[in-house]
Amino acid sequence: MEFLLLTEKCIWFGLGAAGFAVLFNVPPKTLIYIAFMGAMGGFLKAILMHFDETNVIISTLCGATLIGFLSIYFAHKTHCPPPVLAIPACIPMIPGKFAYKMMIGLVNLSGNIDHDTYTQIMSETVNNGLKVVFILMSIAGGVGIPLLITRKESSKGMRLRKRS
Amino acid sequence: MIAPSPKNKEIKDLGNVLLNVGAMLLSSGASTGRTRNTISRISDSFGYSSDLLISHRTIMLTISDKKNDYFFNNLKRSAPHGVNFKLLSGISRLSWQVVEEGLSVNQINVQLSRLAALKHYPRWFTLLFVGLAGVSFCRLSDGDALDMVTVFTATVCGLFIRQEVHKMKFNPYICIFCGAFTASLIAGGGLKYGMGFIHEQALATSVLFLIPGVPLINSFSDMIDGNLNNAIVRGLNGFIISFAIGMGLLTSMLIYRF
Repeated sequence: MEFLLLTEKCIWFGLGAAGFAVLFNVPPKTLIYIAFMGAMGGFLKAILMHFDETNVIISTLCGATLIGFLSIYFAHKTHCPPPVLAIPACIPMIPGKFAYKMMIGLVNLSGNIDHDTYTQIMSETVNNGLKVVFILMSIAGGVGIPLLITRKESSKGMRLRKRS
Repeated sequence: MIAPSPKNKEIKDLGNVLLNVGAMLLSSGASTGRTRNTISRISDSFGYSSDLLISHRTIMLTISDKKNDYFFNNLKRSAPHGVNFKLLSGISRLSWQVVEEGLSVNQINVQLSRLAALKHYPRWFTLLFVGLAGVSFCRLSDGDALDMVTVFTATVCGLFIRQEVHKMKFNPYICIFCGAFTASLIAGGGLKYGMGFIHEQALATSVLFLIPGVPLINSFSDMIDGNLNNAIVRGLNGFIISFAIGMGLLTSMLIYRF
């Protein structure tokens, strides 16, 4: 049953990635690869979240890093630059729910409320806001770091192969 | 006045092509490092050395030949930013073609105009897929079937309105605000008058199709690359877009008094 739920999540992650790929106007033949990468990254995130519910930030970082490495593999296959594949694929991981809660919290904070409620809402809002910031940073970092590590190597490899 | 020599004309043509390539890359969502690499890759293959100053929407380029006899120096402002990865990957492939097959400047120009004329996906297709993406966001934050239907409607309408407002040449942030406002108005109406069948997730995920993924990720990769100036500008751009989304959401929440 748990496994079925995880598989279902995979499908939704893949579909979300494909939707953003269409919005960003990627080449048509890469759509299926982007959906696959989004599903794999989301699957890793979901599995890690399943074992440790609290660590949404580390799970997202792992998922995004997996997408980063997969994007380099598929970039050689489809002859597209890696960011084209990686950016749409990791967008379904963006924490919409936390951002929404943070927004509601901020609105409530700006109203007239007594001191005790203020403290409680404040702590919830700061918690959600920090989660949003760190998740966004770990998505960008997870996708960016594999690109930056391997970009030079891969383009050097291309040049070596072409000269010889 | 110096008589125009063939060499002089060649370096001028090449410089103009390089500026065009750079402007197209910047406006279609490439990071600063990628733009710089692509331009110097092409100019290296022609045997010229290039120096670049790249800002958020402007490129300044100087190319010169090895003996410094001839040089070209110009500035170009790119079109407003709109993500187009088809163009990005096409230009990347073109730059490798230039290195491998030694295309001439005219051939590059022909290829560039072909790439710029490539069609986007049909509008209904984009609307459908972005609607499905909204549905999947809703499902991922534990929404029900009815929530998913609401989010689909909200997303499709929001994106449609955003495209229409964009066609009227409004400020881009106002386009985003209008899209977020429409989407959250529809989802919020469902939440308010849905008799408890529609949950908060619908409202929260209805505006997610507007998130500035490309500016934020590009900002981070620029930051690691060391292009701090551009990284800050891109990050600020992403922040203002998020702010516009938040304003749209807040406006409809004010209307429904949540």
